[in-house]
Formats: sequence, C-alpha cells, structure tokens
Amino acid sequence: MTGKRIITLVLIIAVLALLAALPAVVSRDSIINMAVLVLLYVALASSWNILGGYTGQTNLGHAAFFGLGGLTTRLLWLSAGWSLFPSLLAGAGAATTLALIIGTPAFKLKGVYFAIGTLALGQVLNVTVGDMFPMITSLPVQQLVSYQLLPRYYLFVGLAVLTVGTAYVLVNSRLGLGMMAVREEEEAAESLGVSAFRHKLLALVVSAFLAGLTGGAFAFYHVGYYPQFLFSPVWTFDALMMAYIGGTGTIIGPIIGALFFVVAKELLALRLVEIHLTVFGTLFILVVLFLPGGFVQAWASIRRALVRQLGARGVRLASRRQAS
Amino acid sequence: MQFLQVRGLAKSFGGLMAIHDLDFEIEEGAILGLIGPNGSGKTTTLNLLTGFLRPDAGTITFRGHNVTGIARHRACQKGIARTFQLTKTFLDFTALQNVMVGRAYGQQPARNLRAAAEEAKESLEQVGLLDKAGFMAKDLTLMQRKKLELARALASRPQLLLLDELMAGLNAAEAEDAMALIRRIRDSGITMIVVEHIVKAILGLSDRIIVLNMGEKIADGPPGEICFDPHVIEVYLGKAPCLL
Repeated sequence: MTGKRIITLVLIIAVLALLAALPAVVSRDSIINMAVLVLLYVALASSWNILGGYTGQTNLGHAAFFGLGGLTTRLLWLSAGWSLFPSLLAGAGAATTLALIIGTPAFKLKGVYFAIGTLALGQVLNVTVGDMFPMITSLPVQQLVSYQLLPRYYLFVGLAVLTVGTAYVLVNSRLGLGMMAVREEEEAAESLGVSAFRHKLLALVVSAFLAGLTGGAFAFYHVGYYPQFLFSPVWTFDALMMAYIGGTGTIIGPIIGALFFVVAKELLALRLVEIHLTVFGTLFILVVLFLPGGFVQAWASIRRALVRQLGARGVRLASRRQAS
Repeated sequence: MQFLQVRGLAKSFGGLMAIHDLDFEIEEGAILGLIGPNGSGKTTTLNLLTGFLRPDAGTITFRGHNVTGIARHRACQKGIARTFQLTKTFLDFTALQNVMVGRAYGQQPARNLRAAAEEAKESLEQVGLLDKAGFMAKDLTLMQRKKLELARALASRPQLLLLDELMAGLNAAEAEDAMALIRRIRDSGITMIVVEHIVKAILGLSDRIIVLNMGEKIADGPPGEICFDPHVIEVYLGKAPCLL
C-alpha cells in the first residue's frame, strides 16, 4: 500500500514538473494550444465526474455552468473592466448560484428524468443566450496586441490541478462516501442516515463551481467567439464521453479520457474531417456496452490477467527448482 | 415513557387501504414479530416507521419524540434502522465500506473516516463477517449480503431495528444461524420488529406477535396465545403450528 502510494506520488510530481516545463521544451504555439485544450477538458470532465460519476446523477446540462461562468467572466473582464481573478470568481459564483437555484427542482427528478431535465436546462440557456447576445465577442485591439499564451497556459494548469485535487479530496472524505452510497443504492443510503438530496446538491454545487471556473478560463483564453458557443451541448457531451471512455467514478479516468480524446480528435480531424464525430460516437457506444468502467476497467482486467500469468509461472519455476 | 407507541396509523394507496387504524407499542428490549398473509401491510408498517412512506393519519412516538412522517435519513439518525426484503447492498463497495456508511452517518457518527473504518469492523465481527471485510459486496453470497445489511444497520447504532424478511431465501441451517444472530443482537440491548414468513422461526424468536390481515391488526399477544387463536389460524396459519 505504501509502495503504491509512493509510486503515485512520484508520478504526480513528474506530471506536474512536465506541465511546468512544457513551454520551455516545446516552443510551438500549436502544441501549447493543444495542451490548453487537454487541461480544459481534464477540468471539465473531472467536474462532470463529481456529480455524474461519483454521485450517479447523469447531468446533461453541464454546458450551462461552463457557459454561465464564461459569459459572466468575459462580461466583467472585458466590458466592466474588472481584473481577471475577481471576474473568474464571479463567473464561478454565477454558475454555483444557478446550481443552487435549479438543484431543488432538478433533484425531484430521478434517473433518466434528471438527465432529460438537465438537458432541457442547458438548451434553454443555449437558446436564450443566443438571442440575448447575438454579436461575436472579440478581444479589443490593445488586448490582442499584448496577447500572451503562457499566462493562459499556466492558468489552465492551475485550474486542472485545482479541479482534480478538489475531486480527490471530496471523494476520499466522509461526504464522498455518502455520495457514492447514494449512487450505489439511494434508498439504502438514506436508511443509514445519508440525506440523498443534500449530497446530490453538494456534488452539483462543487461540479458547477469548477465548471464555471473552467468556462471563465476559456473566456480569458479565447480571442473571439459567439457567446452562445459556450452553452453548446458539445461541452456537455465531450466531457461526458471523456469521463466514460476513461472511466467514470475514478480520479484518473477523466484525465486519461481527456488526453485520449483531444489527441485522437486532432489526428482524426486532420485525416477524416467530419467523420471523427462518427468514430467517437461509435467508440462511446462500444465503451458503454462492453466496458462500462472505461479504460480504467480495461487496465485493471489486463493487470489481473498478467498477475495471474506471472503468478502461475512463478509457481512453476519454484516447483521446478524444488524438483531439481 | 413508552419506547415506541403507534396510534391510529393509516395509509392508503389509491383506493387500497394498506394500513387501517393501527395501534401498537413495544417495550424496550423486546422482539416483536409481525406476521400476516401477503399484502396484509407488514412491509408498509416498516416503511411508515422508517420514513419511507408518510402516513395519511396517526402518530408514531419513539422514545418521547414524535417521528411521524420523518425523513428517511432522520429516522436512522434518531435510532431507527432497518434492513430490506430484497437486499440493497452497495455492490461496488467492499464489505467494510458498506458498513462504514452506517457508522459515518448513523446515530453518534464516527469523528472521521478512519474511526468509522475501525468501528465498522466491530459490526462486521458481530455478524461474523470480519474475514470478508476486504471483499467486494458483489462477490458475497445471499446469506453474507443479508448479514452485511444487518451489520450496516447495526453500525448506525440503533435503539430499534426493523428486519424485513431477513430469513427469506435462506436454507434451514442458514436460518438457524440467523435466528441465533437475532437473539445475540437482542441480548446486546437492541429492540427489534421482525417480519418473517417462517412461522416456526418467528414463534421461537418473538416475545410478542402482532398478526395483520388486510391492513388491520387481528391479534396481538405472546406466541403461545397467537398460534391457538382461531381467527389467526383461519386467515394465516391454516393449522395450529404449536401442536407440531
């Protein structure tokens, strides 16, 4: 156990060092931009995973929190002249407020009805924002002239670390145990003193806060886009697919999923243009049907098989040695 | 102060009267058997006591507190725990994690997860599952899962424990084992309401038995009296099992 923990710790430090040193090693902006995309999706998929993976409530309206965070941050930062960090916090605050408002009615819905309800919420905001803010939002000229990629890259590094760290601390706490119990068997959890509603709401609020922060970081990063774009269901379904492909209800799953998704999308989109959507859709269906635990489950199975093989060989070797 | 007092309890599902004007009480430390034909309202009664259903009328008073229509998790925190007729184990948890939920959220919850894990082991030991602590719940047998649910409920430190057909689906030897376990739990000072269809088991276990039929109480008394009650024999027992 301790040996395993040391290996994990060493791996984490290595990844953090790699992330810190990346801009020094590669100077091409395209690589840094791709790293930003991976980090953005690590944060988005990990935040979705808190409610969808650990608490078992399939949220199909995650884009609403991402979008509201982005919209609020961009408005305050660009139009109202706030500095960056207060704008980011306000964006996350707006997403959290939305979560608190919709939480009570939404959790009256269970299972697939919750999924449909949140899908509707996301679409309502998507259309409303499209009507209210039809104009493209671009960085003003003086911002464009002084645009620097590195601070934005490091902001996303910090965001991804914060999101994964928050998820890790939460799910390893007493509250995390309660959330997972609600996912496993809601009635049994309640019969043991767990308030299902409070745990779902907590998961939603934390998930929305982190998604709102991610949306805000995107608003700081991106040069020009239509405000509605941040509310597109693509953000929800990309995050959900990454969590599933990597492994829902695990910390590492959404990270692996995001990395795989972004790299594969880049490669596929270059060669196959629009067909990559079909490829991801098919992969998602296959994973849900045959590998509900995602890559993490596949790796666990392979490792078990390997251990069994090696164990059998070890026994054979030992018996041979004994015979001689 | 009465330990548990139920007065005028009623619950309907649409036009169906599941429980009608039910009165009963339990003395602390007793085992109360609840029997009756299918659909007579046994599980509905347990659901009403644990907040899984809200009564249409009546009051439930537990250790001086009015717990009528209380939320499910509050019932547990007040000291009323239950098991389920069809097991509702947390399948992707280890046995220990299953029990930790009760210890971390029940009455006088553990200070932190580490303490919850330590204290949960005591409950596992109580039901004889300590050697399975690290097993995934989905790899346990039905008997082990039922014991696990019992351990989980015990870990919430209840004063009143409701067992819904704990012995259903168990073979004769396992049922014997379960009966011995229920007696040990009683000896540790926990009051119980036991719903069972195995008449021999319930007669042997209970200090008192209530017989329900179509949502109404038709008999209430010690086992020796119940099994000679002509009305009970007519609607449920069929013949006097005490003559066996």
